[in-house]
Amino acid sequence: MISAAPWPQRTALRVLLALDRRPRGAMLLASVPLAEQAASSMLALGRYDDPDVGRALGWDARAVVARGRALRRAEGRP
Amino acid sequence: MRSLDADVCVVGAGAGGAVVAAELAEGGARVVLLEQGAYHDPDGFTASPPEMLAHLYRDGGQSVTLGAPPIALPLGRGIGGTTLVNSGTCFRTPPRVLERWAREFGLQLDEASLRPCFERVERALSVREVTPELAGENAAVARRGAERLGWSHGYLKRNARGCVGSGVCAFGCPTSAKQHTGITYIPRAAAASAEIVTGADVHNVLVERGSARGVRARLAGGDALEVRARDVVLACGTIHTPLLLERSGLRDSSGQRGRNLALHPATAGFALMDETVDMARGVPQSFYIDEFADEGVMLEGVAGPPAYAAMALPLTGERHARAMARYRRLAQFGLMVSDASRGRVRSIAGRPIIRYDLCPEDMSRFRIGLARMEELFRAAGAREVYLPLPEGARPHSARARDLKLMAFHPLGTARADARATHGVTDGDLAVHGVPGLHLADGSVVPSALGVNPQMTIMALATRLAFSLLGQAVPASNPSPAPPTDQRPTKEKEIACRS
Repeated sequence: MISAAPWPQRTALRVLLALDRRPRGAMLLASVPLAEQAASSMLALGRYDDPDVGRALGWDARAVVARGRALRRAEGRP
Repeated sequence: MRSLDADVCVVGAGAGGAVVAAELAEGGARVVLLEQGAYHDPDGFTASPPEMLAHLYRDGGQSVTLGAPPIALPLGRGIGGTTLVNSGTCFRTPPRVLERWAREFGLQLDEASLRPCFERVERALSVREVTPELAGENAAVARRGAERLGWSHGYLKRNARGCVGSGVCAFGCPTSAKQHTGITYIPRAAAASAEIVTGADVHNVLVERGSARGVRARLAGGDALEVRARDVVLACGTIHTPLLLERSGLRDSSGQRGRNLALHPATAGFALMDETVDMARGVPQSFYIDEFADEGVMLEGVAGPPAYAAMALPLTGERHARAMARYRRLAQFGLMVSDASRGRVRSIAGRPIIRYDLCPEDMSRFRIGLARMEELFRAAGAREVYLPLPEGARPHSARARDLKLMAFHPLGTARADARATHGVTDGDLAVHGVPGLHLADGSVVPSALGVNPQMTIMALATRLAFSLLGQAVPASNPSPAPPTDQRPTKEKEIACRS
Protein backbone atom coordinates (compact mmCIF):
# COMPACT_ATOMS: atom_id res chain seq x y z
CA MET A 1 0.00 0.00 0.00
CA ILE A 2 2.82 2.37 0.82
CA SER A 3 4.49 1.39 -2.45
CA ALA A 4 1.36 2.51 -4.31
CA ALA A 5 1.53 6.00 -2.82
CA PRO A 6 3.07 8.93 -4.69
CA TRP A 7 6.70 9.47 -3.79
CA PRO A 8 6.26 12.37 -1.32
CA GLN A 9 3.76 10.40 0.80
CA ARG A 10 5.73 7.18 0.34
CA THR A 11 8.92 8.76 1.58
CA ALA A 12 7.22 10.54 4.47
CA LEU A 13 5.45 7.39 5.62
CA ARG A 14 8.62 5.32 5.51
CA VAL A 15 10.44 7.90 7.57
CA LEU A 16 7.58 8.06 10.09
CA LEU A 17 7.42 4.28 10.42
CA ALA A 18 11.17 4.05 10.88
CA LEU A 19 11.02 6.69 13.61
CA ASP A 20 8.10 5.00 15.33
CA ARG A 21 10.06 1.75 15.67
CA ARG A 22 12.84 3.41 17.71
CA PRO A 23 12.33 4.67 21.27
CA ARG A 24 13.92 8.06 20.62
CA GLY A 25 12.11 8.36 17.30
CA ALA A 26 8.81 7.56 18.99
CA MET A 27 9.48 10.28 21.57
CA LEU A 28 10.16 12.73 18.78
CA LEU A 29 6.97 11.72 16.99
CA ALA A 30 4.94 12.18 20.18
CA SER A 31 5.74 15.87 20.02
CA VAL A 32 4.11 16.12 16.57
CA PRO A 33 0.61 14.66 17.03
CA LEU A 34 -0.23 14.67 13.32
CA ALA A 35 2.88 12.67 12.47
CA GLU A 36 2.36 10.29 15.37
CA GLN A 37 -1.21 9.72 14.26
CA ALA A 38 -0.17 8.97 10.68
CA ALA A 39 2.49 6.50 11.81
CA SER A 40 0.32 4.72 14.37
CA SER A 41 -2.62 4.47 11.94
CA MET A 42 -0.43 2.84 9.33
CA LEU A 43 1.08 0.40 11.81
CA ALA A 44 -2.35 -0.47 13.22
CA LEU A 45 -3.70 -1.11 9.74
CA GLY A 46 -1.01 -3.70 9.12
CA ARG A 47 -1.15 -5.29 12.57
CA TYR A 48 -4.92 -5.84 12.62
CA ASP A 49 -5.02 -7.07 9.03
CA ASP A 50 -3.36 -10.29 10.20
CA PRO A 51 -5.94 -13.09 9.67
CA ASP A 52 -5.29 -14.58 13.12
CA VAL A 53 -5.73 -11.22 14.82
CA GLY A 54 -8.91 -10.63 12.84
CA ARG A 55 -10.37 -14.03 13.72
CA ALA A 56 -9.68 -13.45 17.41
CA LEU A 57 -11.81 -10.31 17.08
CA GLY A 58 -14.68 -12.09 15.31
CA TRP A 59 -13.71 -11.14 11.75
CA ASP A 60 -12.82 -13.78 9.19
CA ALA A 61 -11.91 -12.13 5.89
CA ARG A 62 -11.44 -15.46 4.14
CA ALA A 63 -14.94 -16.59 5.08
CA VAL A 64 -16.42 -13.28 3.88
CA VAL A 65 -14.63 -13.61 0.54
CA ALA A 66 -15.56 -17.29 0.17
CA ARG A 67 -19.23 -16.52 0.84
CA GLY A 68 -19.10 -13.74 -1.73
CA ARG A 69 -17.58 -15.93 -4.39
CA ALA A 70 -20.06 -18.73 -3.71
CA LEU A 71 -22.98 -16.30 -4.00
CA ARG A 72 -21.67 -14.83 -7.22
CA ARG A 73 -21.23 -18.26 -8.77
CA ALA A 74 -24.56 -19.63 -7.53
CA GLU A 75 -26.58 -16.63 -8.68
CA GLY A 76 -24.63 -15.73 -11.81
CA ARG A 77 -23.62 -12.35 -10.48
CA PRO A 78 -20.84 -10.47 -12.29
CA MET B 1 0.15 5.94 -33.31
CA ARG B 2 -3.14 4.04 -33.07
CA SER B 3 -6.35 5.83 -33.92
CA LEU B 4 -10.05 5.38 -33.37
CA ASP B 5 -13.05 7.28 -34.68
CA ALA B 6 -16.25 7.85 -32.77
CA ASP B 7 -19.22 10.12 -32.48
CA VAL B 8 -18.39 10.71 -28.84
CA CYS B 9 -15.22 10.08 -26.87
CA VAL B 10 -15.78 9.74 -23.13
CA VAL B 11 -12.84 9.94 -20.72
CA GLY B 12 -13.32 8.22 -17.36
CA ALA B 13 -15.49 5.21 -16.41
CA GLY B 14 -16.79 6.30 -13.01
CA ALA B 15 -20.11 7.76 -11.93
CA GLY B 16 -20.35 10.27 -14.78
CA GLY B 17 -18.45 8.72 -17.68
CA ALA B 18 -19.96 5.24 -17.47
CA VAL B 19 -23.49 6.67 -17.48
CA VAL B 20 -22.86 8.95 -20.45
CA ALA B 21 -21.15 6.16 -22.41
CA ALA B 22 -23.93 3.62 -21.86
CA GLU B 23 -26.82 5.96 -22.59
CA LEU B 24 -25.14 7.34 -25.71
CA ALA B 25 -24.17 3.90 -27.02
CA GLU B 26 -27.67 2.56 -26.46
CA GLY B 27 -29.00 5.64 -28.22
CA GLY B 28 -27.08 4.69 -31.33
CA ALA B 29 -23.94 6.82 -30.97
CA ARG B 30 -20.51 5.34 -31.72
CA VAL B 31 -18.74 5.68 -28.39
CA VAL B 32 -15.14 5.23 -27.35
CA LEU B 33 -14.67 5.16 -23.57
CA LEU B 34 -11.13 5.63 -22.25
CA GLU B 35 -10.29 4.69 -18.66
CA GLN B 36 -6.91 5.29 -17.06
CA GLY B 37 -7.23 2.44 -14.54
CA ALA B 38 -7.93 -1.26 -14.94
CA TYR B 39 -10.94 -3.54 -14.84
CA HIS B 40 -11.03 -4.99 -11.31
CA ASP B 41 -12.08 -8.62 -11.23
CA PRO B 42 -14.17 -9.34 -8.09
CA ASP B 43 -12.29 -12.65 -7.78
CA GLY B 44 -9.34 -10.50 -6.75
CA PHE B 45 -11.18 -8.85 -3.86
CA THR B 46 -9.73 -10.08 -0.58
CA ALA B 47 -11.60 -7.98 2.04
CA SER B 48 -8.18 -6.89 3.30
CA PRO B 49 -8.16 -3.09 3.68
CA PRO B 50 -4.45 -2.50 2.98
CA GLU B 51 -4.41 -4.82 -0.03
CA MET B 52 -7.54 -3.31 -1.49
CA LEU B 53 -6.42 0.26 -0.83
CA ALA B 54 -3.30 -0.47 -2.86
CA HIS B 55 -5.29 -2.20 -5.61
CA LEU B 56 -8.51 -0.24 -6.07
CA TYR B 57 -7.59 3.30 -5.07
CA ARG B 58 -5.63 6.01 -6.79
CA ASP B 59 -2.22 6.43 -5.18
CA GLY B 60 -2.91 3.55 -2.80
CA GLY B 61 -5.67 5.60 -1.16
CA GLN B 62 -3.13 8.09 0.07
CA SER B 63 -4.13 11.22 -1.78
CA VAL B 64 -4.09 14.04 0.72
CA THR B 65 -4.84 17.76 0.71
CA LEU B 66 -2.32 20.35 1.85
CA GLY B 67 -3.62 22.86 4.37
CA ALA B 68 -4.96 23.14 7.86
CA PRO B 69 -5.68 20.40 8.63
CA PRO B 70 -4.42 17.98 5.94
CA ILE B 71 -7.31 15.80 4.78
CA ALA B 72 -7.08 12.27 3.39
CA LEU B 73 -8.94 12.11 0.09
CA PRO B 74 -9.22 8.49 -1.09
CA LEU B 75 -10.40 8.15 -4.70
CA GLY B 76 -11.24 5.03 -6.69
CA ARG B 77 -9.42 4.27 -9.93
CA GLY B 78 -10.46 1.91 -12.68
CA ILE B 79 -13.66 0.71 -14.27
CA GLY B 80 -16.39 1.95 -11.91
CA GLY B 81 -14.20 4.73 -10.52
CA THR B 82 -15.11 5.75 -7.00
CA THR B 83 -18.50 3.99 -7.30
CA LEU B 84 -16.52 0.75 -6.96
CA VAL B 85 -15.30 1.70 -3.49
CA ASN B 86 -17.93 4.04 -2.08
CA SER B 87 -20.57 3.11 0.47
CA GLY B 88 -23.32 3.06 -2.13
CA THR B 89 -25.39 5.76 -0.45
CA CYS B 90 -27.96 7.32 -2.78
CA PHE B 91 -29.47 10.75 -2.17
CA ARG B 92 -31.15 12.92 -4.76
CA THR B 93 -29.89 16.51 -4.87
CA PRO B 94 -31.67 18.32 -2.01
CA PRO B 95 -34.24 20.88 -3.29
CA ARG B 96 -32.63 23.66 -1.24
CA VAL B 97 -29.37 23.05 -3.15
CA LEU B 98 -31.13 23.22 -6.54
CA GLU B 99 -32.77 26.48 -5.49
CA ARG B 100 -29.36 27.86 -4.56
CA TRP B 101 -27.93 26.81 -7.92
CA ALA B 102 -30.72 28.66 -9.73
CA ARG B 103 -30.24 31.75 -7.57
CA GLU B 104 -26.44 31.96 -7.51
CA PHE B 105 -25.34 30.18 -10.69
CA GLY B 106 -28.31 30.70 -13.01
CA LEU B 107 -28.77 26.93 -13.48
CA GLN B 108 -32.22 25.79 -14.60
CA LEU B 109 -32.11 22.46 -12.79
CA ASP B 110 -35.27 22.14 -10.77
CA GLU B 111 -36.68 19.02 -9.14
CA ALA B 112 -39.22 18.46 -11.90
CA SER B 113 -36.72 18.60 -14.75
CA LEU B 114 -34.26 16.30 -12.99
CA ARG B 115 -36.86 13.79 -11.78
CA PRO B 116 -36.80 11.60 -14.93
CA CYS B 117 -32.99 11.47 -14.71
CA PHE B 118 -33.01 10.41 -11.06
CA GLU B 119 -35.74 7.84 -11.67
CA ARG B 120 -33.81 6.35 -14.57
CA VAL B 121 -30.58 6.11 -12.58
CA GLU B 122 -32.35 4.66 -9.56
CA ARG B 123 -33.91 1.93 -11.68
CA ALA B 124 -30.60 1.16 -13.37
CA LEU B 125 -28.85 0.82 -10.00
CA SER B 126 -31.64 -0.99 -8.10
CA VAL B 127 -31.73 1.74 -5.45
CA ARG B 128 -33.65 0.75 -2.33
CA GLU B 129 -33.68 1.39 1.38
CA VAL B 130 -31.55 -0.77 3.65
CA THR B 131 -33.58 -2.99 5.98
CA PRO B 132 -32.90 -2.84 9.75
CA GLU B 133 -31.81 -6.50 9.69
CA LEU B 134 -29.22 -5.88 7.00
CA ALA B 135 -28.07 -2.63 8.62
CA GLY B 136 -26.78 -4.59 11.61
CA GLU B 137 -26.05 -3.69 15.21
CA ASN B 138 -23.87 -0.67 14.47
CA ALA B 139 -26.86 1.09 12.92
CA ALA B 140 -29.07 -0.15 15.78
CA VAL B 141 -26.85 1.69 18.27
CA ALA B 142 -27.23 4.98 16.38
CA ARG B 143 -30.95 4.43 15.93
CA ARG B 144 -31.42 3.86 19.66
CA GLY B 145 -29.55 7.08 20.44
CA ALA B 146 -31.45 9.12 17.84
CA GLU B 147 -34.81 7.81 19.03
CA ARG B 148 -34.03 8.63 22.65
CA LEU B 149 -32.99 12.15 21.65
CA GLY B 150 -35.91 12.62 19.26
CA TRP B 151 -33.62 13.39 16.33
CA SER B 152 -34.72 12.99 12.71
CA HIS B 153 -33.19 9.82 11.26
CA GLY B 154 -33.69 6.98 8.79
CA TYR B 155 -32.20 4.06 6.92
CA LEU B 156 -30.27 5.05 3.84
CA LYS B 157 -31.09 4.19 0.26
CA ARG B 158 -28.33 2.32 -1.53
CA ASN B 159 -27.53 0.90 -4.95
CA ALA B 160 -27.32 -2.74 -3.92
CA ARG B 161 -29.00 -5.97 -4.96
CA GLY B 162 -28.68 -9.20 -3.02
CA CYS B 163 -26.51 -7.61 -0.33
CA VAL B 164 -25.66 -9.87 2.59
CA GLY B 165 -23.84 -7.26 4.67
CA SER B 166 -20.24 -8.24 4.02
CA GLY B 167 -19.10 -5.00 5.66
CA VAL B 168 -16.39 -4.11 3.15
CA CYS B 169 -18.10 -1.80 0.62
CA ALA B 170 -15.04 0.43 0.58
CA PHE B 171 -12.68 -2.47 -0.19
CA GLY B 172 -14.45 -4.18 -3.11
CA CYS B 173 -17.82 -5.89 -2.66
CA PRO B 174 -17.08 -9.63 -2.62
CA THR B 175 -20.66 -10.54 -3.56
CA SER B 176 -21.01 -8.00 -6.41
CA ALA B 177 -24.13 -6.79 -4.62
CA LYS B 178 -23.18 -3.16 -4.89
CA GLN B 179 -24.46 -1.95 -8.22
CA HIS B 180 -21.50 0.24 -9.10
CA THR B 181 -21.17 1.52 -12.64
CA GLY B 182 -18.61 -1.18 -13.48
CA ILE B 183 -21.30 -3.88 -13.30
CA THR B 184 -24.32 -1.84 -14.39
CA TYR B 185 -23.64 0.86 -16.97
CA ILE B 186 -20.32 -0.45 -18.32
CA PRO B 187 -21.72 -3.84 -19.44
CA ARG B 188 -24.60 -1.97 -21.08
CA ALA B 189 -22.17 0.27 -22.91
CA ALA B 190 -20.14 -2.74 -24.05
CA ALA B 191 -23.29 -4.60 -25.16
CA ALA B 192 -24.25 -1.55 -27.22
CA SER B 193 -20.88 -1.73 -29.01
CA ALA B 194 -19.04 1.02 -27.16
CA GLU B 195 -15.30 0.54 -27.48
CA ILE B 196 -13.88 0.48 -23.95
CA VAL B 197 -10.16 0.93 -23.50
CA THR B 198 -8.54 0.51 -20.11
CA GLY B 199 -5.05 1.68 -19.23
CA ALA B 200 -5.49 4.79 -21.37
CA ASP B 201 -3.87 7.86 -19.88
CA VAL B 202 -5.36 10.84 -21.68
CA HIS B 203 -2.90 13.63 -22.14
CA ASN B 204 -4.89 16.31 -23.91
CA VAL B 205 -8.05 17.25 -25.76
CA LEU B 206 -7.57 17.82 -29.47
CA VAL B 207 -8.88 21.25 -30.43
CA GLU B 208 -9.31 22.36 -34.04
CA ARG B 209 -10.54 25.82 -34.99
CA GLY B 210 -11.67 26.32 -31.42
CA SER B 211 -13.74 23.12 -31.19
CA ALA B 212 -12.98 19.83 -29.43
CA ARG B 213 -12.32 17.08 -31.95
CA GLY B 214 -11.01 14.20 -29.89
CA VAL B 215 -8.27 13.31 -27.40
CA ARG B 216 -4.72 12.03 -27.40
CA ALA B 217 -3.72 9.32 -24.92
CA ARG B 218 -0.90 6.97 -24.00
CA LEU B 219 -1.80 3.29 -23.56
CA ALA B 220 -0.45 1.12 -20.76
CA GLY B 221 1.94 -0.58 -23.17
CA GLY B 222 3.42 2.76 -24.24
CA ASP B 223 1.61 3.17 -27.58
CA ALA B 224 0.04 6.51 -28.41
CA LEU B 225 -3.69 6.57 -29.16
CA GLU B 226 -5.65 9.29 -30.89
CA VAL B 227 -9.43 9.26 -30.75
CA ARG B 228 -11.22 11.57 -33.13
CA ALA B 229 -14.79 12.42 -32.26
CA ARG B 230 -17.54 14.96 -32.86
CA ASP B 231 -18.00 15.44 -29.12
CA VAL B 232 -15.74 14.85 -26.15
CA VAL B 233 -17.01 14.24 -22.62
CA LEU B 234 -14.47 14.48 -19.80
CA ALA B 235 -15.34 12.62 -16.61
CA CYS B 236 -11.96 12.15 -14.94
CA GLY B 237 -13.21 13.32 -11.56
CA THR B 238 -13.06 16.59 -9.69
CA ILE B 239 -9.32 16.48 -9.10
CA HIS B 240 -8.17 15.46 -12.57
CA THR B 241 -10.65 17.03 -15.00
CA PRO B 242 -9.47 20.63 -14.43
CA LEU B 243 -5.87 19.49 -14.85
CA LEU B 244 -6.67 17.83 -18.18
CA LEU B 245 -8.36 21.04 -19.35
CA GLU B 246 -5.24 22.94 -18.36
CA ARG B 247 -2.90 20.46 -20.08
CA SER B 248 -4.96 20.87 -23.24
CA GLY B 249 -4.07 24.55 -23.39
CA LEU B 250 -7.70 25.66 -23.26
CA ARG B 251 -8.33 29.23 -22.27
CA ASP B 252 -10.09 29.74 -18.95
CA SER B 253 -11.97 32.98 -19.34
CA SER B 254 -13.77 32.56 -16.00
CA GLY B 255 -10.61 32.11 -13.94
CA GLN B 256 -12.53 29.44 -12.01
CA ARG B 257 -10.82 26.33 -13.35
CA GLY B 258 -9.34 24.31 -10.49
CA ARG B 259 -10.97 26.58 -7.89
CA ASN B 260 -14.09 26.26 -5.70
CA LEU B 261 -13.15 22.80 -4.47
CA ALA B 262 -15.64 21.53 -1.90
CA LEU B 263 -14.92 18.21 -0.18
CA HIS B 264 -17.57 17.40 2.44
CA PRO B 265 -14.83 16.90 5.08
CA ALA B 266 -15.73 14.12 7.45
CA THR B 267 -14.61 12.35 10.58
CA ALA B 268 -15.80 9.51 12.77
CA GLY B 269 -16.06 8.64 16.44
CA PHE B 270 -16.24 5.34 18.30
CA ALA B 271 -18.13 4.16 21.36
CA LEU B 272 -17.66 1.16 23.61
CA MET B 273 -21.02 -0.51 24.18
CA ASP B 274 -22.14 -3.18 26.63
CA GLU B 275 -23.47 -5.40 23.88
CA THR B 276 -21.70 -7.11 21.00
CA VAL B 277 -21.87 -4.83 17.97
CA ASP B 278 -19.60 -6.56 15.43
CA MET B 279 -19.62 -3.42 13.32
CA ALA B 280 -18.42 -5.17 10.16
CA ARG B 281 -21.47 -7.45 10.12
CA GLY B 282 -24.05 -5.52 8.13
CA VAL B 283 -24.02 -2.58 5.77
CA PRO B 284 -21.36 -0.12 6.98
CA GLN B 285 -23.23 2.97 5.82
CA SER B 286 -26.88 2.19 6.37
CA PHE B 287 -28.27 4.83 8.71
CA TYR B 288 -28.34 8.62 8.82
CA ILE B 289 -29.33 11.39 11.20
CA ASP B 290 -30.29 14.61 9.40
CA GLU B 291 -31.49 16.55 12.44
CA PHE B 292 -28.68 19.08 11.91
CA ALA B 293 -28.59 19.10 8.09
CA ASP B 294 -29.75 22.72 7.99
CA GLU B 295 -26.72 23.60 10.11
CA GLY B 296 -24.49 21.82 7.58
CA VAL B 297 -23.90 18.70 9.69
CA MET B 298 -24.95 15.24 8.57
CA LEU B 299 -24.37 12.13 10.67
CA GLU B 300 -23.98 8.90 8.71
CA GLY B 301 -23.01 5.35 9.56
CA VAL B 302 -19.51 4.09 8.96
CA ALA B 303 -17.87 0.83 9.99
CA GLY B 304 -15.41 -1.78 8.88
CA PRO B 305 -13.26 -4.78 9.78
CA PRO B 306 -10.63 -4.63 12.56
CA ALA B 307 -7.81 -3.31 10.34
CA TYR B 308 -9.96 -0.45 9.17
CA ALA B 309 -11.23 0.29 12.70
CA ALA B 310 -7.72 0.18 14.10
CA MET B 311 -6.58 2.72 11.51
CA ALA B 312 -9.49 5.08 12.29
CA LEU B 313 -9.62 4.67 16.07
CA PRO B 314 -8.46 8.01 17.52
CA LEU B 315 -6.31 6.54 20.29
CA THR B 316 -2.65 5.62 20.58
CA GLY B 317 -0.48 3.22 22.55
CA GLU B 318 -1.98 1.18 25.35
CA ARG B 319 -5.40 2.87 25.10
CA HIS B 320 -5.60 1.91 21.42
CA ALA B 321 -4.68 -1.70 22.17
CA ARG B 322 -7.21 -1.90 25.02
CA ALA B 323 -10.03 -0.52 22.90
CA MET B 324 -9.16 -2.82 19.98
CA ALA B 325 -9.19 -5.83 22.29
CA ARG B 326 -12.88 -4.99 22.71
CA TYR B 327 -13.47 -4.46 18.99
CA ARG B 328 -16.61 -6.61 19.05
CA ARG B 329 -18.24 -4.10 21.37
CA LEU B 330 -17.14 -1.01 19.45
CA ALA B 331 -19.69 1.07 17.55
CA GLN B 332 -18.71 3.74 15.05
CA PHE B 333 -20.54 6.65 13.47
CA GLY B 334 -19.42 9.39 11.09
CA LEU B 335 -20.12 13.07 10.63
CA MET B 336 -19.87 14.99 7.40
CA VAL B 337 -19.86 18.76 6.98
CA SER B 338 -21.50 20.58 4.07
CA ASP B 339 -18.53 22.85 3.67
CA ALA B 340 -18.27 26.56 2.99
CA SER B 341 -14.46 26.25 2.73
CA ARG B 342 -13.11 26.25 -0.80
CA GLY B 343 -9.89 24.74 -2.04
CA ARG B 344 -7.92 24.67 -5.23
CA VAL B 345 -6.35 22.01 -7.47
CA ARG B 346 -3.16 22.70 -9.39
CA SER B 347 -0.60 20.62 -11.16
CA ILE B 348 3.03 20.71 -10.15
CA ALA B 349 5.46 18.48 -12.04
CA GLY B 350 2.51 16.55 -13.42
CA ARG B 351 1.01 15.72 -10.03
CA PRO B 352 -2.15 17.26 -8.62
CA ILE B 353 -1.58 19.51 -5.63
CA ILE B 354 -4.74 20.06 -3.63
CA ARG B 355 -4.84 23.05 -1.30
CA TYR B 356 -7.73 23.24 1.15
CA ASP B 357 -8.02 25.06 4.47
CA LEU B 358 -10.93 24.64 6.81
CA CYS B 359 -12.68 28.00 7.31
CA PRO B 360 -13.91 29.12 10.76
CA GLU B 361 -17.53 28.47 9.78
CA ASP B 362 -16.78 24.81 9.01
CA MET B 363 -14.66 24.48 12.14
CA SER B 364 -17.71 25.60 14.07
CA ARG B 365 -19.77 22.93 12.26
CA PHE B 366 -17.28 20.27 13.34
CA ARG B 367 -17.50 21.44 16.96
CA ILE B 368 -21.29 21.16 16.82
CA GLY B 369 -21.12 17.80 15.07
CA LEU B 370 -18.64 16.28 17.51
CA ALA B 371 -20.69 17.42 20.49
CA ARG B 372 -23.81 15.89 18.91
CA MET B 373 -21.97 12.68 18.16
CA GLU B 374 -20.95 12.33 21.79
CA GLU B 375 -24.53 13.05 22.84
CA LEU B 376 -25.76 10.38 20.43
CA PHE B 377 -23.43 7.69 21.77
CA ARG B 378 -24.21 8.56 25.40
CA ALA B 379 -27.95 8.42 24.71
CA ALA B 380 -27.45 5.00 23.10
CA GLY B 381 -25.84 3.75 26.32
CA ALA B 382 -22.15 4.00 25.50
CA ARG B 383 -19.77 3.08 28.28
CA GLU B 384 -16.94 5.12 26.74
CA VAL B 385 -16.84 7.52 23.78
CA TYR B 386 -13.74 8.05 21.66
CA LEU B 387 -14.04 11.27 19.68
CA PRO B 388 -11.53 11.97 16.92
CA LEU B 389 -9.68 14.55 19.01
CA PRO B 390 -6.39 14.48 20.91
CA GLU B 391 -6.56 13.22 24.47
CA GLY B 392 -8.10 15.84 26.74
CA ALA B 393 -9.52 17.99 23.91
CA ARG B 394 -13.23 18.75 24.00
CA PRO B 395 -15.50 19.46 21.00
CA HIS B 396 -16.25 23.09 21.95
CA SER B 397 -12.55 23.98 22.11
CA ALA B 398 -11.30 21.85 19.20
CA ARG B 399 -8.94 23.52 16.73
CA ALA B 400 -8.47 22.66 13.08
CA ARG B 401 -5.14 20.97 13.78
CA ASP B 402 -6.85 18.70 16.33
CA LEU B 403 -9.12 17.13 13.74
CA LYS B 404 -8.46 13.84 12.01
CA LEU B 405 -10.33 14.33 8.74
CA MET B 406 -11.08 12.40 5.59
CA ALA B 407 -13.12 13.47 2.58
CA PHE B 408 -14.83 11.41 -0.07
CA HIS B 409 -16.81 13.91 -2.16
CA PRO B 410 -14.61 16.38 -4.05
CA LEU B 411 -16.78 18.77 -6.09
CA GLY B 412 -16.76 22.05 -7.97
CA THR B 413 -13.37 22.56 -9.68
CA ALA B 414 -14.96 23.20 -13.09
CA ARG B 415 -18.21 24.52 -11.79
CA ALA B 416 -21.29 25.06 -13.88
CA ASP B 417 -22.54 28.61 -14.15
CA ALA B 418 -24.77 30.06 -16.82
CA ARG B 419 -22.32 32.97 -17.13
CA ALA B 420 -19.06 32.31 -18.95
CA THR B 421 -17.35 34.82 -16.69
CA HIS B 422 -18.23 32.83 -13.56
CA GLY B 423 -18.10 29.16 -14.47
CA VAL B 424 -16.18 26.64 -16.58
CA THR B 425 -19.30 24.97 -18.02
CA ASP B 426 -22.80 26.15 -18.71
CA GLY B 427 -25.97 24.60 -17.29
CA ASP B 428 -25.88 21.91 -20.00
CA LEU B 429 -22.33 20.98 -18.93
CA ALA B 430 -20.80 22.30 -22.15
CA VAL B 431 -17.44 23.97 -21.57
CA HIS B 432 -17.86 27.70 -22.17
CA GLY B 433 -16.17 28.76 -25.39
CA VAL B 434 -15.16 25.27 -26.60
CA PRO B 435 -17.87 23.75 -28.80
CA GLY B 436 -18.01 19.96 -28.60
CA LEU B 437 -16.44 19.69 -25.14
CA HIS B 438 -18.54 18.64 -22.14
CA LEU B 439 -17.88 17.62 -18.54
CA ALA B 440 -19.73 14.92 -16.58
CA ASP B 441 -18.31 14.45 -13.12
CA GLY B 442 -18.24 16.08 -9.71
CA SER B 443 -16.19 18.99 -11.02
CA VAL B 444 -19.30 20.65 -12.48
CA VAL B 445 -21.26 20.55 -9.21
CA PRO B 446 -21.12 24.21 -8.18
CA SER B 447 -21.55 23.90 -4.43
CA ALA B 448 -21.38 21.42 -1.59
CA LEU B 449 -24.50 19.23 -1.55
CA GLY B 450 -24.58 18.18 2.08
CA VAL B 451 -25.32 14.63 0.94
CA ASN B 452 -23.38 11.93 -0.92
CA PRO B 453 -23.03 13.11 -4.55
CA GLN B 454 -23.06 9.99 -6.74
CA MET B 455 -26.75 10.31 -7.67
CA THR B 456 -26.38 13.99 -8.53
CA ILE B 457 -23.42 13.22 -10.80
CA MET B 458 -25.23 10.32 -12.47
CA ALA B 459 -28.44 12.30 -12.96
CA LEU B 460 -26.53 15.19 -14.54
CA ALA B 461 -24.66 12.70 -16.74
CA THR B 462 -27.97 11.16 -17.84
CA ARG B 463 -29.29 14.59 -18.71
CA LEU B 464 -26.14 15.35 -20.72
CA ALA B 465 -26.30 12.04 -22.62
CA PHE B 466 -29.87 12.56 -23.77
CA SER B 467 -29.15 16.17 -24.61
CA LEU B 468 -26.31 15.00 -26.90
CA LEU B 469 -28.69 12.48 -28.45
CA GLY B 470 -31.22 15.26 -28.99
CA GLN B 471 -33.85 13.33 -27.04
CA ALA B 472 -35.86 13.77 -23.87
CA VAL B 473 -34.96 11.44 -21.00
CA PRO B 474 -37.39 8.53 -21.46
CA ALA B 475 -39.74 7.46 -18.70
CA SER B 476 -39.31 3.80 -19.67
CA ASN B 477 -36.99 1.48 -17.77
CA PRO B 478 -33.34 1.54 -18.80
CA SER B 479 -31.92 -1.59 -20.36
CA PRO B 480 -31.03 -4.26 -17.82
CA ALA B 481 -27.35 -4.99 -17.43
CA PRO B 482 -26.52 -7.87 -19.83
CA PRO B 483 -26.39 -11.23 -18.02
CA THR B 484 -23.20 -12.24 -19.75
CA ASP B 485 -19.85 -10.95 -18.68
CA GLN B 486 -19.31 -7.75 -20.65
CA ARG B 487 -16.16 -6.65 -18.92
CA PRO B 488 -13.77 -4.63 -21.05
CA THR B 489 -11.29 -7.37 -21.79
CA LYS B 490 -7.66 -7.29 -22.76
CA GLU B 491 -8.89 -8.40 -26.18
CA LYS B 492 -10.81 -5.13 -26.55
CA GLU B 493 -7.70 -3.21 -25.79
CA ILE B 494 -5.63 -5.34 -28.14
CA ALA B 495 -8.27 -4.93 -30.84
CA CYS B 496 -8.03 -1.22 -30.45
CA ARG B 497 -4.28 -1.29 -30.79
CA SER B 498 -4.13 -3.56 -33.83
